[in-house]
Amino acid sequence: MLELRGVRHRYEGRVVLDLEQFSVPRTAAVAVVGHNGAGKSTLLRLLALLEAPTEGQVFLNGTAVPRRPAASLRRRVTLVEQRPVLFRGTVRENLEYGLRVREIGQAAANGIIADVVERLGLEPLLSRRRHELSDGEVQRVAVARALALRTDVLLLDEPASSADRAAAGALYRALAAERAARPFAVCIASHQLEDAYRWADDIRALADGRLSPVTPENLFRVELPVGDGVKSVRVGSIDIVVMTDRAGPAVVAVPPTDIFVSREPLPSSARNVFKGRVTGMAIEHRGAGVHVRADMGGVELVAAVTAEAARDLALTPGAPVVFSFKATAVQVF
Amino acid sequence: MDFLAEGFRRAWGLLVAGDSEVYGIALLTLRVAVVATVISCAAGLPLGYFLATRRFWGRRAALTVVNTALAFPTVVVGLLLYGLLSRQGPLGSLGWLYTWQAIVVGDVVLALPIAAALSAAAIQGVDPRIRRTAETLGAGAWRTAWTVAREARFALAAVITAAFGQVVAEIGAAMIVGGNIRGSTRTLTTAVALYTAQGDFGLALALGLVLLLLALVVNIALQMLQGRGHA
Repeated sequence: MLELRGVRHRYEGRVVLDLEQFSVPRTAAVAVVGHNGAGKSTLLRLLALLEAPTEGQVFLNGTAVPRRPAASLRRRVTLVEQRPVLFRGTVRENLEYGLRVREIGQAAANGIIADVVERLGLEPLLSRRRHELSDGEVQRVAVARALALRTDVLLLDEPASSADRAAAGALYRALAAERAARPFAVCIASHQLEDAYRWADDIRALADGRLSPVTPENLFRVELPVGDGVKSVRVGSIDIVVMTDRAGPAVVAVPPTDIFVSREPLPSSARNVFKGRVTGMAIEHRGAGVHVRADMGGVELVAAVTAEAARDLALTPGAPVVFSFKATAVQVF
Repeated sequence: MDFLAEGFRRAWGLLVAGDSEVYGIALLTLRVAVVATVISCAAGLPLGYFLATRRFWGRRAALTVVNTALAFPTVVVGLLLYGLLSRQGPLGSLGWLYTWQAIVVGDVVLALPIAAALSAAAIQGVDPRIRRTAETLGAGAWRTAWTVAREARFALAAVITAAFGQVVAEIGAAMIVGGNIRGSTRTLTTAVALYTAQGDFGLALALGLVLLLLALVVNIALQMLQGRGHA
């Protein structure tokens, strides 16, 4: 329903986003993951119709969006920024803002506000002003302010970045409840892979403004040495052996499904063998896979195993673990 | 220093007695200042918002022109307007030369760059997320502008004060295009200059005090308006 085609977006001449195609289908839950500076926020601003791409086109329901879209068109999409701001006035006045813009009557607006306030537990904050709120509270109010608008597409940029675990859980539950009551598309930019796997139907990775051809884990920006064939690149405190003829700045990716997980180092042809400890486990939203995160001496790697294998290896947070993968498994782009 | 003390005594007497000439000049000055401030701010504040928020070719040049216009010498503005409004000038048919309307035009030309340049700076000082948030919540262009302006209300009130200050204290253009005609285009500043030149320090001081009083009242009113704001 919301789509970017042939988009190449520049800031001061520098390409920050380069996407052949990116779409948020109707009622989909899309997660966009990537490092800081990968282009997630820029992507969301383009999807929110707040900026027009330098090159390329945005489509809403198959119709090309003009460079300066009318307010009526913008009202079908809304974005909550990573560090949202509230307007001057009370929390209630902030929640009413978008409803007033849409000329929704006071009685209907009160009903909608009561709904989102209950869902996000904002009742005690309603008469407070922005300087009386914590960052996490501001974020919750901003999400509520966006949810109240009942747009076709909701875009959230790191919506739980200022929230503790409990608040983040409440936020995702509120989103799920709202989507159960009224289907709409949601696209969330996040660097929290666990959260993304927990609730998204579709996870896409951005690296240096481009969609990564592989799953979003284990993406590293590196400087490749000159030379052909097998070379070693430094990633934090570890050296990863890759097979490439490329040189200079690049992104390397290790697909989690290509990582062999064991408790002890095993004799094999893998050129990359790292010992570490499990730091977390995440069960995939769909299927029986488990994502095992492990700290390999300052660098975190993620491997995908079946739930059965995780059980057999007794993988729990803190357990010692060995990740092995071949140099040819490392993708360079 | 005796002449100063004598001047203050005379001034006080004229003010207390409700001297019609003093109050007539003050009222004309107030009328000219209010009309010119309203016109220059009505045009200058939206222009400042436009310059601060829109990206277009020549924007930097436009900002430079507006900033340069801040230093426009008032007598040069008066001279140019004189040329335009004089009988042979392109706007001579209006018949505005030596009228209070001509003074208003001169004051607007001088205060408009102040309103535009300072409001552009004030709007640029507002967190850009405010504008994006208003837009993403569905606000149209006017409501977005209003929302951003509300965030910059203190700075914008200072812009209005500065524009009023320019207008009420202006003398060069008022003298040239107004002609300092008694009972018609004599403003507080032109009258102070005239009576000082004539050696009537008491009257000049009385008018000077009224001018200061006017500025004080307007500033207090604007401060009270600012003080009513909440975060």
